[in-house]
Amino acid sequence: MSDISNLIEEDSDNDGEAMTAAEVLQKLEEAWLNEKFAPDLLENKSDIVDCMMDQLQEMENNIKLAKRGDFKVSLHRMEIDRIRFIISSYLRRRLEKVERFAVCVLEAEEKRDDEEASRLTPEEHQYAKDYQESVEMHMKNLALRHMPPNSQKMDPNLTTIRPNVDSYVFLKVNKHQEGVLVEEESSDAGEEVLDLVKGDQHIIRYRPISSLVENGSVTLM
Amino acid sequence: MDPSEVEFLAEKELIRVVPNFSQDKIYLIGGEIGPFNPGLQIDIPLWMALNLKQRQKCRILPPDWMDVEKLEEIKQNEHDSKYFTEMPSQHYMEITQLLLKQAISDIPQADVIRTLVKDIWDLRVAKLRSSIDTFIKSDTTHAKLNFLTLMEINTVRPFLTKSLDQMHKLKTNLHGGDMGNSTIESQSQD
Repeated sequence: MSDISNLIEEDSDNDGEAMTAAEVLQKLEEAWLNEKFAPDLLENKSDIVDCMMDQLQEMENNIKLAKRGDFKVSLHRMEIDRIRFIISSYLRRRLEKVERFAVCVLEAEEKRDDEEASRLTPEEHQYAKDYQESVEMHMKNLALRHMPPNSQKMDPNLTTIRPNVDSYVFLKVNKHQEGVLVEEESSDAGEEVLDLVKGDQHIIRYRPISSLVENGSVTLM
Repeated sequence: MDPSEVEFLAEKELIRVVPNFSQDKIYLIGGEIGPFNPGLQIDIPLWMALNLKQRQKCRILPPDWMDVEKLEEIKQNEHDSKYFTEMPSQHYMEITQLLLKQAISDIPQADVIRTLVKDIWDLRVAKLRSSIDTFIKSDTTHAKLNFLTLMEINTVRPFLTKSLDQMHKLKTNLHGGDMGNSTIESQSQD
């Protein structure tokens, strides 16, 4: 049936990067796993998500056009459902982090310079602002306005919840890395440096390897 | 991570089937599959194979390692070695579970296979438990876990990560003293 096969014959143009749809899918899965296990909000991968959403849309359209060849349609549909699951889970996890760390996230957004890319998508940014306002309003109406006058403000320094960047994660190594500083010099332990060999799996604190996650040399598992 | 999510990842593995229908090439987003010809073997992802099996459109061929002799050898190696040995598939547990549930008629000596795989799993998880015990008591701050499969890692994930987190907190508080009440650390979740 040529209608459906027309789909992948074209290059999936992705800002001029010639990545096949399969490669984008692979990257999406990695982004999903990394976001799932990282304690902190990672860089947003909206280009990958958007590309995948386009692919899904095209595939859905093609299926509609297909005749009652029930067969291919059900297989495509299953794949679509699987990909949708990954995308939803990824976005949900990000939103969960935006909600929990709303104050932190907005702070970081204020502090960054214009050249640095934002970790939030514009929608997430708006969501964070709205969420933060709602929570503050809620606190004020529920409790703060009934407090004695000098206790009516909440000190952000005392109340913000920050991600625990020292939490332990499992990772697998994609690219060989030498000399990763794992532990700082401290009073009873010297500094520890680790070589990461491709294919190894480790359990380690997130903080020392967070830059490796961002650049793709390791994937969380 | 939920075990069903680990299974979701395992379902991407390719497996050999013999279809009883014919179909030309399918162009999935993840790659091309096919063409299908009745009686000719073809490799397809596990999720697709299970679905086709359910609709009685194919017969599943067990993977090479899902064989009584091979598994006995693997079990023996695992038993003899102090460390973890490499498993024939990163998803041996999930694949075995899925095939024995949904395609049991295609697996020769299914019961023996079920027992062998379970024994291998038990051996490895017991090793894992005792090495975790040593690891935590020894106060080391990181470890290498090659050859462990995702399902095994996922089984110990909550305990291991949380206890290491707590130990780290205790250690840093011991040295840093009061870091100020300013930041409330969140509990890390899965």
